[in-house]
Amino acid sequence: MYIEQRIRAILFYLSVLVFIAILPFILSFALGYKFNPKTLQFTKTGIIVLKAQPGSAAVYLNDKLLDAKSPVTIDELLPGNYQVRLEIEGHYPWSDNIQVEAGKVSRFEKIILFPLRPQVTQLNQDRVTIFWIDEDSGLIYYVYSDNKNNQIYIYTSDLSGQRYQMAANISGTIPAPVSWKLSPDKTKILFFNSRQVRVASLKYNGDSDVLLEPYFIFDYRSNSLCDIFWHSDSFHLILVSYNSVEALEAQSGARPVELASLNRKNPYPYYDIKTDTLYFMDSQKAPDGNLYENVYKLEMAGNKVFDLPSQFKTKANEENK
Amino acid sequence: MKKINKFERILEIIPGAISWAIIIFFVFLAFVHPITCAVILIIFDLYWIIRTIYLTSLLIIAYQKLLRLLDKDWFAESNVLSGFEKIHQLIIFPVYKEGLEILRPSLDALINSHYPKNKMIVVMAFEERRSDSREIARILELEYAGNFSGYISTFHPDGLPGEGRNKGANATWAAKKAKEYVLSKGLEISDIIVSCFDADTCVHPGYFGCLTYHFLTSPNPHQASYQPMPVYNNNIWYAPAFARLVEISSSFNQLIESMRLERFVTFSSHSMSFKTLVDIDYWPVDMISDDSVVYWKAFLHYDGQYRVVPLYTIVSMDVAYSRSIFKTIWLQYRQKRRWAWGVENFPFLIKGFAKNPRIPLITKVRRAYNLLESHITWAVWAVILMFIAPLPILLGGAHFTQIPIGYNLPRITGILLNFTLIASFVIIVLSMLLLPPRPKDVKRAKYLVMVMEWIIVPFIILIVGSAPALDAQTRLMLGRYMEFQATEKSRFKKK
Repeated sequence: MYIEQRIRAILFYLSVLVFIAILPFILSFALGYKFNPKTLQFTKTGIIVLKAQPGSAAVYLNDKLLDAKSPVTIDELLPGNYQVRLEIEGHYPWSDNIQVEAGKVSRFEKIILFPLRPQVTQLNQDRVTIFWIDEDSGLIYYVYSDNKNNQIYIYTSDLSGQRYQMAANISGTIPAPVSWKLSPDKTKILFFNSRQVRVASLKYNGDSDVLLEPYFIFDYRSNSLCDIFWHSDSFHLILVSYNSVEALEAQSGARPVELASLNRKNPYPYYDIKTDTLYFMDSQKAPDGNLYENVYKLEMAGNKVFDLPSQFKTKANEENK
Repeated sequence: MKKINKFERILEIIPGAISWAIIIFFVFLAFVHPITCAVILIIFDLYWIIRTIYLTSLLIIAYQKLLRLLDKDWFAESNVLSGFEKIHQLIIFPVYKEGLEILRPSLDALINSHYPKNKMIVVMAFEERRSDSREIARILELEYAGNFSGYISTFHPDGLPGEGRNKGANATWAAKKAKEYVLSKGLEISDIIVSCFDADTCVHPGYFGCLTYHFLTSPNPHQASYQPMPVYNNNIWYAPAFARLVEISSSFNQLIESMRLERFVTFSSHSMSFKTLVDIDYWPVDMISDDSVVYWKAFLHYDGQYRVVPLYTIVSMDVAYSRSIFKTIWLQYRQKRRWAWGVENFPFLIKGFAKNPRIPLITKVRRAYNLLESHITWAVWAVILMFIAPLPILLGGAHFTQIPIGYNLPRITGILLNFTLIASFVIIVLSMLLLPPRPKDVKRAKYLVMVMEWIIVPFIILIVGSAPALDAQTRLMLGRYMEFQATEKSRFKKK
C-alpha cells in the first residue's frame, strides 16, 4: 500500500469525523438553538439584527458594551426583553427596548444616527432669490432678481455646488409670486405668475457684459393663470387658468389657442410629458342637467389634440354643433 | 442506429432521472417547505466544503508526488530490470482533422524521449474519409519513419458495419493493423505495451521509461492500465483565460483521481498491455467514451481484477480554444459534454456485471455506485450551489426571513463557502507551478494576469460546471445519442 493511500485514508476518516462533529452545531445554530453544556440541552433562542447609518456604532445590550460594532447580529438570545442602544461619537444615540421571541428574528435595519451638528454647506456663490433643482440634468438653478438694476441672473451648478457658472442674464424683474420650469430640451426656462409668462434662453454666450434679452414675454389677459407646462417639443406651452386650457407657442407675438373652457376654479392640473397628456378636474353638465365633478384627460400628442367629451366648450365641439 | 433492449434503456435513463429528480426535489421543497430545504442545503454546503478540503489535500499530495517523480531517470531505473530487453512500445495516434502543425510536435516528443527508438513502433491512424489524409501520411512518413523501429500509417475506412464515427473505431482499426505488423516482425504481443494518444499529445521525455518501469514491476502487469497525468501545456500561454482555467481544472481532477485508486479509470491518453487489448477485442467501436470503456472492458474480462496504475509523469496536450471567446466557450462546453458522455459507461458496466457472476457483489455495488455518484455529482453540484441555494429565501416569503434559519442560511452558506477560498488559493499556486517555461514573446506580466484570471471562476462554474453533464445525461435519458465530435485544436497565438 502506498504511503499516500494511508494518508488518504486518515484524511478521509478525519473528514467524516469533522462532518459528523460539526453538523449538529451548525444546524442547531441555523435553527436558532443554543446548546447549554450544563444541562446538555438545546434551548430555542431569538436573534436581534441591527443595521445603522453611519456604520461602526458601539452596541450596548442591557448596558453592556458588545465587542462587535454595527451592523451586528446578536445571536442565541434567550426569549425576553433587551435594552439595546447604539452610540457613535458626535451623533444622537438610538435606543429601544426589544422583545426577543424564541425562533424569531427581530430586525432593526433602518436606524439612522443623526449628527449632533449637521454639516451644512453653502452652494451658491452669488446672491440668490430663488433656487430650483432639475433632477434629470443633475443641475441646481440659482436665480437672482436684481430689482434695482432691473436684471435677472441665472446660474447653474452640479448637485454638490461645483461647476458653478452663469447660464443667463436677462433684463427685467421677476413678477411675484413666481414659479419656474425648464424646457424638456434644457435650452429655455419659463417663469410666471398669475398674469405674466416669461421665457428666457439658457444659451449664455459666456460674456457677462452682454445682456441676453428675454426670449419671450406674454401678458395674460386676466389675473387667473393657475399653472403652465412645457409640451415635449419644448416650443409649445400649455396654459391652465381658472377658466380655460390654452396652448401657446413660445415665441414673440404668439396668440393662445383655447383647447377647453373650464367651470372649476382650480382644476388641479397634472401634465404627463411622456405622452403629452393633461389631466385635470372640472365640473361639467351631464345629460341629466346636473353639474358633476369629474377627472378628465386631454391628449395633445399628434392627432389626439382636442379629444374631449362633447359637452366641453372647445372650438372643435362648437363647430360640430 | 443502435439496437437497445428495454433493460438497457432503463439503465440509460437512470443517471439523468436521478440528477433531474434531485434538482426538482430541491425546487419543490423550496416551494412547499423552505425550512427543510434550507436544512438540507446547509448539510450539503458542509459536505461540499469538507469534500473540497479533502480533495484539495489529495491534490497537494499528488502534486508533490508528481514533482518528486517527474524528473526521475526512469530509463535508468527500468533498463536494469529483468525483461526490459523484450519490451516494445506501440504508440497509436488516432488522427481526425489535426494538421501537420499539431502532429509534428507529437512525433518530435517521441524522438526526444529518453527511450530507445529502436523499441518504438509508431502508428499514425488516419481516417480515410479525410481527403488529404494520404498526403499528410506521406509527408510524415518521409520525415519520421526512419527514426523508429517501425512506422506505419493506417487509413480507417468510413462506415464499417457496427461502427460509429468515433476515435475508438479508428484506434481499433489501427491496432489490428499494428498486430499484423508486430507478428510479421516476430515480436510477442505480450511483450508490447500499447499507448493510445490523442493526436496533440506530447509525451514527457521520461514517459516510456516510467511506463516500462511500472509495467515490469507491477504484479500482473497485463491486468492494469497505465495512466499518465494529462496537462494542457502545449499552447497554454496563448489560450484565453476561460479555456486555460477549465483545462487546468481537468488536470487537477486527474491528479486527485490518481489518489483514489479504487475508482481510478483511464482517461484520454493512456497505455496498457497490447495482449490485454487484443484479448478484450480492442477499443469499443460504437461508443464515444472509448478511453474509459476500454478500462471497463478489461475490468469485466478479468472478473474485476483489473486496475489503473497512476504514472507520475505528464503528457501534454492542447487547450481547446478558438479566436472568438464565444466559440471558445462553445468548444469547451462541447468537449466537457463529450467527457460527460462517459455516463454511457454506466449501462455498459451494469450489463457487464449482469453477465458476470464471478465478480463479487460488493465490488459490483461499489464500482457502480462510484461511477454513478461521480456523474450525478458533476451534474447537480453547481446547480445546487448557484441556483437552488437562494431559493428558500426567494420563495420562503416574509415569514421565512423572520425566523433564524431564514436569516442564518445566507450567513452560514457564505461562511462555509469562504473556506473554498483556501482551496482556491492552493489551486492558484499549483496552477502557476505547473506552467511550462514562459515563451519569449509572452510578457512577464502575464503571470499576474494568470493569477487575476481566477476571479472569473464563478462564471466558468456557471457555464461548464454542471450544464455539460446535465446535458449529456438528459440526452442519454431521452435516447438522443451523441455523435463523436473531435475537439478543435488550434495553435495560433493570441493577437
